[in-house]
Amino acid sequence: MEALYRLIPDKYVAVIQSRLSLPRLCELRIINGAPVRVCYDGAYYFLCATGLTRDKSTAFVADKNSAENVVMRACSHSLFTVTDTLKRGYIAVARGIRVGVCGAGVMNGGTLTAVKDFYSVNIRLPHEIKGCACALAPKLINGGTIKNALIISPPGAGKTTILRDLCRIISDSGHNVLLCDEKYEIASVVGGVPSLDVGYCTDIISGVDKPKVFEIGIANMSPEVIITDELFASDLPCVRRASTCGISVISTAHAKNIDEVKAKQEYAEAIRQGVFDSYVVLSGPPARTVTVYEGVI
Amino acid sequence: MSTRLLIVFLSVAVGTLCGYIVFLSYKRNYTYLGGVCDMLSALKQNLAYKKDTVPVVLSGMTISNALLKKNIDEYIAYTAGQSDKREVSRGFLPQSTFDGVNDLFAAIGGSDENSQSARLDALELRFDKLLADAERKYTKYGSVAVKLGFLVGLGVGVLVL
Repeated sequence: MEALYRLIPDKYVAVIQSRLSLPRLCELRIINGAPVRVCYDGAYYFLCATGLTRDKSTAFVADKNSAENVVMRACSHSLFTVTDTLKRGYIAVARGIRVGVCGAGVMNGGTLTAVKDFYSVNIRLPHEIKGCACALAPKLINGGTIKNALIISPPGAGKTTILRDLCRIISDSGHNVLLCDEKYEIASVVGGVPSLDVGYCTDIISGVDKPKVFEIGIANMSPEVIITDELFASDLPCVRRASTCGISVISTAHAKNIDEVKAKQEYAEAIRQGVFDSYVVLSGPPARTVTVYEGVI
Repeated sequence: MSTRLLIVFLSVAVGTLCGYIVFLSYKRNYTYLGGVCDMLSALKQNLAYKKDTVPVVLSGMTISNALLKKNIDEYIAYTAGQSDKREVSRGFLPQSTFDGVNDLFAAIGGSDENSQSARLDALELRFDKLLADAERKYTKYGSVAVKLGFLVGLGVGVLVL
């Protein structure tokens, strides 16, 4: 995982390489002047010279400019290449790694124009688990047609991982898939080549807002299904429009359960109108259950 | 007689060589600054459309000046995390050029698109002036130095005779 090691100090790299198992590492949180924390197998620990610890006195403490160093390395010392995503709070790095960034915003006439004085970063590592959606896929594919589906789970429960595998399975079964990879997390295209397997029938548009992708994708790529991550209320009109064009949409939403989704007004309306045919609810660790709801709920 | 002729020849050769060394010092400073201006131009063009990262733009350039190539390699190594501190070798550079190059490597990539564009414009202006000065020295004093070296060598040879 060279892309990760390039971002962080050598002493962290040495510990991660020698003491930890990368597939179990989900996050690395660095706050200026604070102990470095990692999310390992769904639980948080401090990173120390011997591996992981619950004792913060033995943990590595980040320097006062650690966050800035990570940000500069993440953008290859070219801040102008990531200005737009920085304003949305993250930098997309190779291999699907996403660096969440906190700092001071520079406002100009009510508009956020830049971010400076970086304070903390959260390096999130993708997990490619081929086959994790094998049991789910038949429930979303009905006689050759793909159902509109919304995958619901809290952060860190594996929405993106299951969505990626679902994309791969649907694509490899011969369906034209348009993947909207707004945050470079699903396919993580670098130099025109996806770093992660999303199937051989998948067209990928990266780094573009969902409404734009839906507009240009439907007009030019004739997809059978559009797959996208983290659907917000403002994106629902696009989903409705795609549905009326005979295109299925599979997406994800942040919520603990179906009731939380229904509590959001815009989603409640979409659910009532039957925009989605299926709802897949993922629970976080340790249970990690997958529950599928059908029809208008 | 042949010894005397040899002395004259040697003193002319040494004088011309000294002049040529002065000429080369002007030339390498001029080619270095020319390379820096090309680099700034490439960065500006890239910023206007492709927005590749600075290391990608720099590593794709063809640089003839050895010192500038070394400086760029040092910068790329720093951005790749191979070096903790950004360092620029001074080599033959005069203080004004060295200060400018340090400012250049500190400034590129350190801000958003608009600020970066303005910063590159300012740096281009600064290096254009340095380049014009270096060109003047190279064309004017460079050839004079070779001729002067030849004449001084000849004069010394004649005096020895």
